[in-house]
Parts: sequence; C-alpha cells; structure tokens
Amino acid sequence: MLHEGNVVVQVRDLYYTYPGGIEALKGVDLEVYQGEVLAIMGENGAGKTTLVKHFNGILKPTRGQVLVKGIDTRHASVAELSRIVGFVFQNPDHQLFADTVYEEVAFALRNFGYPEHVIESRVKWALNLMDLWKYRTRSPFSLSVGERKRLTIASVLAYDPEIIVLDEPTAGQDHLQKEKISEIIHLLRLMGKTVVIVTHDVEFVTEHVDRVAVMARGKILAVGPPQRVLCDPRLLREARLVAPQLVRLSLILRRHGILNEGEYEWRADKLAPKLIKALRGGADGGSPGI
Amino acid sequence: MEALRAFRFKRENTVIDRADPRVRALLSVSLAALSLYVQSLEKQLLIILTALAVAAAARRLKRLAGVIKAALPLSAMIFALNWLFGPGTGLVQPLVLALRFLALSASLSLFFMTTSPDELSLLLESMRLPREYSMLVTMSFRFVPTLALDVEAVMHALQSRGLELERGSITRRVKNYLYLMVPLIVHEVRRSLMAAEALEARGFGSPRKPSRYRELRAKTSDYLFIALLAAYIVLFLAL
Amino acid sequence: MIVRMSRLSYRYPGSEDWVLKDVNFEADAGEFVLLVGPSGCGKSTFARVFNGLIPHFYGGELVGEIEVCGMDPREHPTYEFAECVGFVFQNPENQLFFTSVERELAFGLENLGLPREEISRRVEQALREYQLAELRDRSPYELSGGQQQRLAIASVMVMQPKILVLDEPTANLDPFTAVRVLALVRRKTIEEGVAAIVIEHRLEVALPFATRMVVMVNGQIVDDGNPAEVIARQKHVVGRPQALELVERLIQAGLSLEVEKPSPEHIALSIVRAYKVGEHAARRKRGSPG
Repeated sequence: MLHEGNVVVQVRDLYYTYPGGIEALKGVDLEVYQGEVLAIMGENGAGKTTLVKHFNGILKPTRGQVLVKGIDTRHASVAELSRIVGFVFQNPDHQLFADTVYEEVAFALRNFGYPEHVIESRVKWALNLMDLWKYRTRSPFSLSVGERKRLTIASVLAYDPEIIVLDEPTAGQDHLQKEKISEIIHLLRLMGKTVVIVTHDVEFVTEHVDRVAVMARGKILAVGPPQRVLCDPRLLREARLVAPQLVRLSLILRRHGILNEGEYEWRADKLAPKLIKALRGGADGGSPGI
Repeated sequence: MEALRAFRFKRENTVIDRADPRVRALLSVSLAALSLYVQSLEKQLLIILTALAVAAAARRLKRLAGVIKAALPLSAMIFALNWLFGPGTGLVQPLVLALRFLALSASLSLFFMTTSPDELSLLLESMRLPREYSMLVTMSFRFVPTLALDVEAVMHALQSRGLELERGSITRRVKNYLYLMVPLIVHEVRRSLMAAEALEARGFGSPRKPSRYRELRAKTSDYLFIALLAAYIVLFLAL
Repeated sequence: MIVRMSRLSYRYPGSEDWVLKDVNFEADAGEFVLLVGPSGCGKSTFARVFNGLIPHFYGGELVGEIEVCGMDPREHPTYEFAECVGFVFQNPENQLFFTSVERELAFGLENLGLPREEISRRVEQALREYQLAELRDRSPYELSGGQQQRLAIASVMVMQPKILVLDEPTANLDPFTAVRVLALVRRKTIEEGVAAIVIEHRLEVALPFATRMVVMVNGQIVDDGNPAEVIARQKHVVGRPQALELVERLIQAGLSLEVEKPSPEHIALSIVRAYKVGEHAARRKRGSPG
C-alpha cells in the first residue's frame, strides 16, 4: 500500500560529522512518502539513528539539506519541528519526569499552546489508545517497562504529529509487548500517519513495512520493498544484517533445487503449503519447485 | 566546554608520559607552590613559560596554550577587580594576581593532561588513600563522557516534545532547562545503582585487602627528573 | 549439580506479593540454559539469587533451599560468590568502571586477592582469547557496544567462574553481534564446562545455542526442558521463531523431519534430507535405476 505521492521528508546529499570528529553520514539521499511505513535498518553504528535525528532537527546537517514538509531543518528549532515529527526514543527513562501519567502526556500539548479543554480530550484519547487511562493519576515511574514505553508513545500521539519516528521500538521487548507494538503501528497506518521505524529486528519488519532502507557505514545501500531488499544475500552481508529466518531457509532449499526463484515467503503459514506441494511433487516424480 | 576538554587525558608516548606520575605530581605542585610564593611579575611569567616548555616536551603545547587562552577572561576579571577595588595603587599587584591565576591553571592542567585516571588512582593509593576513594576518582573520570551523553539525550527527548531550548528569552530558556533535572537525576541514580550491583558482583567490598595489578615503581630517570626539579627550584628562588 | 534450588520464594522488602513462588531449579556444568518469560515475570530477580545480590543488595525475604557452588546465598555475602558465579548485566556501560581495558580485566582478580603474577597471566590470556589485545589501553567509551559486552564477559570470565549468569546481554546489540556474543558463551560452556544461565527475549538469536529452556511466568517456572519442545508448548507466551513453526506445519502435513538444532540452516538441511529420501523412494517406486 504505497502512496508514492507527496514527499514529506526530503534528505539531500546529507553529511553529518559528530563534534568528536566521526563522520556518521556520508552523502545520504532519501525521500519519505506520505502515509508509508518505512524501516531504516543496519548494524549499530551504520548511521540509522543519526539519520532520523535530522528529521526533527535534533541534529543539523554538516553538509546537505533536510526538508520536512518543505521546511529546511536548519532554520527551525527542534521544538518547532516536533509538531510535525513525533519522535519516540528507545529509552523511555530519558524523558519521564512528571508527577502523574496524565501530566506526562499533557506536557507536549502544553508546550504547543493548546487550550486546556483540548488538552483534556487529547490526553484522554491517547491514554485510552495505549490502555493507560487507568494509570492517569499514578507516577510514571511506578509503571512497568512495557507500560513506560507505551506511555512515551501516548505522549507523542497526543499532539497528533503527521510523522512518527520510532527508534528501536522492539528492543528489549518480550513477545506480547512486540505484538502490542505491531498493533500500534497498524493503527498508525490506519490513521494515515507516516511512520519511520529504526530497527534491526528483521522479523518484525517483514510484517508491517512498505519499504526498507538499508544502511551501512553512513550510506544508504538500497531502498525498496522488503521482499526485494531483505532477500538479497549480498546486500544483507554488506550491511551485516541477518536475513529473516525463512529467507535463510529458502536460500538453502533453492540451492538444493527444492524451491525456485521467485518471491520469498517469510511467514511459515504461507511457506508451508508451498513447500509441501514442492516436496510432494518431487516424491511423485514430477519436477520440484513451485 | 573548552576548559573541561583541557583536563581530559589523551595518551601519548613522550618522556613526560613515561615518567612516574608522582614525579609529574611533584612538578605541578612545585610550580603551583612557587607561583603562590613569589610576588614578582617576571617569576610568574617564568612559571607559565616553564609549564609551556614541559607541555611542548609532552607534545601538548597547543592544548596547554588553549587552556591558558580559555583562562584569560577570568584572569582579566581578576586583574580588573583587584585594580579597581584592591588595596594600594599601581598595576603590578593586580597583574601578578592575574598571572598567578594563569600559572596555577597551567600547572594543574599540565598534570591532568599527562596523567590517565588509572595512573591518578595509583598515585592516590600510593599515598595511602583507601581503594574505595581512589576508585571514586577513577570512576568519576570514567563516567563524565557518559554523563555528558545522558544530558544530551534528556535534552533531545524533552525538546522533541516541544520544550523550547533554542529560541526565546533567556529567562524562559533557563526555566525550561530545569525540566531536565528530574529525568536526569532519576536516570543517574538508576545508573549508579546498577553500577553498585555490578561492583558487588565482581567481588568488590570484601574486607580482605585487594591485591594490586600495577604498582608504581620509580626508575632512574624519575630520580633524575626530581634532581632537575630540585635544581630548578633552587635556581628559581635564587634569581 | 552446581545449582540446586528447591521451593524458592522471594519478596522484596515491604512488599506483600511474592515475586518468586516455589521455584524448583537445578543446573549442571556445561549447560546453556535459556531463561525466558514475559517482562516482569521474575527472571531478573531469580538471576540475582545466584550470586547473593538477592538477598544482600536488595533485602527482602528469601525462602527455600538454595545451594549455589555449595553455598547458601543467605549465609554468604556477595563477594564470596564472585569467584564462582560471574554475572553479566544488560547494559555494558554500567559494569565497566575503568578507563582501560587491561585495568578492567584485572579488577575482579584484584578483589579476589590473587598474586600479581597470576593476575598478569590471566589478563594476558584474556586479552588474547577475547580479541581485546589491540584494545588494551582503550577506554570503554571508545569501544563499540559489542566490544563492550565482550569486555564485560571477559572481565567476569577471567575470574574463572563455574556459573555464568547473563541478564539480557544482547539487548543493546544488533543481531549479528548478538549471535557472536552468545556463541562465545556457548563455547565457554563446551570448552570449560561453565554452566550458563542466559535471560533473553530474542529467541531467533538465542535458541540455536541453548541446551535447555526454562519458561517463567508470574514468578513460577511453567516449563523446563528441550528448547524445541518447550517452545511448541509455550508459543503463546514466548513466541515462536518462524522456522520452528514451519517445522510443526510440515510435520503435521505428514513429513518426517529430524532436526538437530533449531536454527533455520539446520532445519533447511533436514528438509533437504527428507526431500532426498522422498525422491529416492519415488524413483525406486518408478523402477528407474539408481
């Protein structure tokens, strides 16, 4: 479901060097389309987080340009850009500070100058969405790890930014929490949001994402639909990414003539019937493969 | 920020670096003591020049020059305040005080520039400081860059929720910076608890006296340095 | 058995609820025990009983029969366990205290009061074995996340513990590095007979190394045994890697598969074998030679 329509974030020949001297981005070009779910993947140190921190102005380009809805990020403050780009950080504990869960979510709305009655309804909506309304009078620090993560997402959703960036949303999350995050991303998509996910969780990405941008050593190696990008062994090797389980499996099967070239399945319930047919076909003397 | 960077240690391999840290400590303390003792303008300058010479020998001339440059504003203020409000008249006394400030900064940062935190803790332990305290010093150094990153992380997290730290009036911005306090403190308290756990898990806290992997052992060259230093002090005072 | 726990229960100070309830657990040398469960189930608390952090660091009430390296943690302070139980925490930043790798490695040995020659010998060996020799003068700040975690493991292993407890050691690492870290731990269990207790969420990464899997829910152990079998029973709680789900579906469809290790590559090869067997049988059926 790709809307190759409006470009909401335009990255042009972006270079970034950290104050210590490390050049983290070496000429990155990228377009983020409205309404899509884009994953940015690569090993630690490839520059993924550095790149997305330019989207809301936390980092400003050393060279090159980043345009968010046409606004040059060098001419706007982080607070200003944050109205358009909501950033959910990996570690919720870097930002929790309020007395109550309610106040935590209201913080951004107050900063943006919304009237009190709007704040009230927005906070209620966001907390309900994340199933946290019942905790509204509790201290944010009394919540469990998973709940704190949902709280940071609620804090961002409350002021309804058009673009949402999630930095490693599944890191350290257990199975059920990951499912919850899947649901949230699905919901964001239904709401028409543009979602950018920084992750190295291949299995998670295969379920939800329209396009994947693979990064290595400060550059984007490839951008495209996951079926194409995450099934290219050479690309994955270069980016030091591990392919999804069933892709790895399929590659070996292909080498032994069991599966043909074609689209890879990475869900067991899709792959199983194909495999069964292929294996039965072989046993009956017909040619193998699909 | 520049001033902080001056106190950061970076490895080099010069004669100065290879010397026993006690010798370097003695050098810096001597220069500082001499600066506090003498009153003449020329002698203060001589101390500053000596510090620069040692820095040159340690391939850190530019850095020490940077420290002195960074200390100039404060030094100028000391001069101005003493000249305007100090007892007596004349430029000499305030100038001496201003230069003394520079000399002290130079001699102290010279030590920290050439001494790693581990050597520093060895030095402290050789002066009979218990392990817990010397580790306090080392760990402070160790965690300073980490802390700086934490401040940045908290800043970015709050800015991303609309906290304006880049525009607006000074008073507004200062007020906004206060919001960083709570998450930062909570984060650092958590961090120190985790570090405490890890220390215990590694056997720290046993009443048995720990052994020492590295020990300071003076070489002939170190004694030579001390002799040179003594000669310098004698000449200096004699002049 | 190097670890024996029977009817273990624990609650934090001032708390009514028991975080661990009637836990029975045993472990032997050479095992790689994968400990999984939803967030908040008590795994981290359980892990801290092994070296006495519970009850000494956290206080509270610890009940039951406990023997780790022949000692009861209630009767011995944590530093006495340091020689036998190595604990690696989730965040390498908070368990590296010095500004040189060499010093970090020596620290634990100094605490044990070992003579200088012995410390020196072990440090040199560790630098070689964990590929840290070129980094010996570096500060942890200058190391990558993977290198930091390798150093953390080395600093603990240098004390030659019989038990290694790792609390989400790969949480901040990318999958590629995570695999290498866990492979290192597995090697130790094989080469030196260390018993490893590893808490992990990412099954796809950790599963191939586990000899045993324990599932904890709400402070109780609900399953314990062969990893592939345990996952089949507990998939709703802990999730299941796609490759294993594929195996179950294929077996349900009548295919006979012999899987050595729960990794996609091994599973692929076992499918290849099954296919070849099928083909062979089919050819014989058709009566063609060879």
